[in-house]
Amino acid sequence: MSSPPVTPPVVTPPVVATENLTKTYGGRSVVDDLNLSIPAGCVYGFLGPNGSGKSTTMKMLLSLIQPTGGRVQIMGRPMTRGTRRELLGSIGSLIEAPPGYAHLTGAENMRLVQRLLGLNREQIDDAVRTVRLQDQMDKKVRNYSLGMKQRLGIAMALARRPRLLILDEPTNGLDPAGIEEIRGLLRRLADDGVTVMVSSHLLGEIDKTANVLGILSQGRMIFQGTRSELMTASAPDVIISCSDPQAAVATLRPFDARHAGRSDVAIPALDDQQTAGAVAALVGQRIGVYGVRRDEQTLEDVFMSLTAGGGL
Amino acid sequence: MGAFNAELLKLKRSLSWPVVVLLPVSLVLMGAATQLAQGGQPDDGWHTVWVQSVGFYGLFPLATGIAIIGSLVWRCEHRGSNWNALMSGPTPTLHIVVAKGLVIAGLTAIMQVVLLISVILMGKLGFGLPGMLPGQYVGITVLLALMALPIAFLQSALSMLIRSFAAPIAVALVASGISVVALNVVGDAALASPYALVTRTALLGTGTFSDPGSVTAGDLIPILAAAVFLVLALVVASTVILERRDTRV
Repeated sequence: MSSPPVTPPVVTPPVVATENLTKTYGGRSVVDDLNLSIPAGCVYGFLGPNGSGKSTTMKMLLSLIQPTGGRVQIMGRPMTRGTRRELLGSIGSLIEAPPGYAHLTGAENMRLVQRLLGLNREQIDDAVRTVRLQDQMDKKVRNYSLGMKQRLGIAMALARRPRLLILDEPTNGLDPAGIEEIRGLLRRLADDGVTVMVSSHLLGEIDKTANVLGILSQGRMIFQGTRSELMTASAPDVIISCSDPQAAVATLRPFDARHAGRSDVAIPALDDQQTAGAVAALVGQRIGVYGVRRDEQTLEDVFMSLTAGGGL
Repeated sequence: MGAFNAELLKLKRSLSWPVVVLLPVSLVLMGAATQLAQGGQPDDGWHTVWVQSVGFYGLFPLATGIAIIGSLVWRCEHRGSNWNALMSGPTPTLHIVVAKGLVIAGLTAIMQVVLLISVILMGKLGFGLPGMLPGQYVGITVLLALMALPIAFLQSALSMLIRSFAAPIAVALVASGISVVALNVVGDAALASPYALVTRTALLGTGTFSDPGSVTAGDLIPILAAAVFLVLALVVASTVILERRDTRV
């Protein structure tokens, strides 16, 4: 009797993958041994303090700068100077500041993109409508506000209907309403199947939008995964409320315990087994234990502790 | 073609247009100023008007004008993050190099037409010369537009690589001076320089510097050969450099 055919699970390769990506300037590593993996259809939040190497990484993904070491794969193909123009047809990007020719109007800038990429009118109109800039198209870009420039830059990136969108700090300089608008836009794009990589030095700006996070610090990836994985990876302190916190700190010195206000003692990086041991040690010293709990921490706390608050 | 069409659109409201019109007009006026002040007609009629305007124009103002146009055409790319946008699009590097060079060359060609019209207007309205500018000079104007192609591509390459607006113009000014001297010292061997090439072309038929005063096929062949070689070499070199170059950090 023959066994029924087994259908192998469909594994979608990441849209962006880097292997030991490194960039060195004058012996100083700006990006160090980076292994990035961006799944298809996600919003990937690329986080890190200013100067952590986010822009340099994004420039290497677009082959704007060549890596000192390592490799970049985009949509399963190596991104090199030889292949970049072909791949860039499916990648929309906005790096550092929004582009746009100041002496031309918004409409002329979009027509320029249309001519350059051989697009049709509908693609241009769609991109402009998506960023809600249709009423400002006859104004010269010189007279645009920063928010309008950002939206025009995004429209220019979207017009080619990219499979991958790489946005470097797109909310920089925007007011809260503008930031919320960009968030909504990124969510809509991801719902439509576009993979979005968006960088920020502020967790709060993309926390609600990104479903996968990559955290960079001093050129190294210190975390990559989902939000919940991030919370799990960074085990919060154990807080023990007790009758004599001073004596408890002395007893639990081997665990790096510290007084955390009133009757609380905080102990970092403790697993369940160690927590039981700590409680037993306190009871053994006849210190009354009122309660044991894990500290509540926000994603912001985790981010700050991972990046040691550098540059934030 | 797409890259060239896009470049044409960027010329809208560009400061290149005043350069294209004002440079040749002012040179024709300057060339004729003394004669106009003295009154009367130039000794050798149309020939004198031509030599006074175009002879000087070819020494260094033409190359400087092309350099200004080159810096203006590339300036918008060096602003904000337009460079990143240009280099992170699917347009092949060769197309970018050729489109920019051709736009600069095209503006230069229009500048030559403005020069020709200015010389004719000066002859007819300024001096009341009989007849029309000899056809030979119309031919030289066409030739000058073509011979400006190597400088257009060279200045385009310089303005592509150097963010400074003034530095490529200074290069053109100095290189033109050296090329004029080289033309007098080593003759046609100086045509390896694009700057010497336009100067030599502008001097065709004028009988000044190394020019014999008449235009023959023998004069044209080395000029044409040098132009074709220089354009090809410059396009290849610019494309290779731009392709390898990293965006600034």
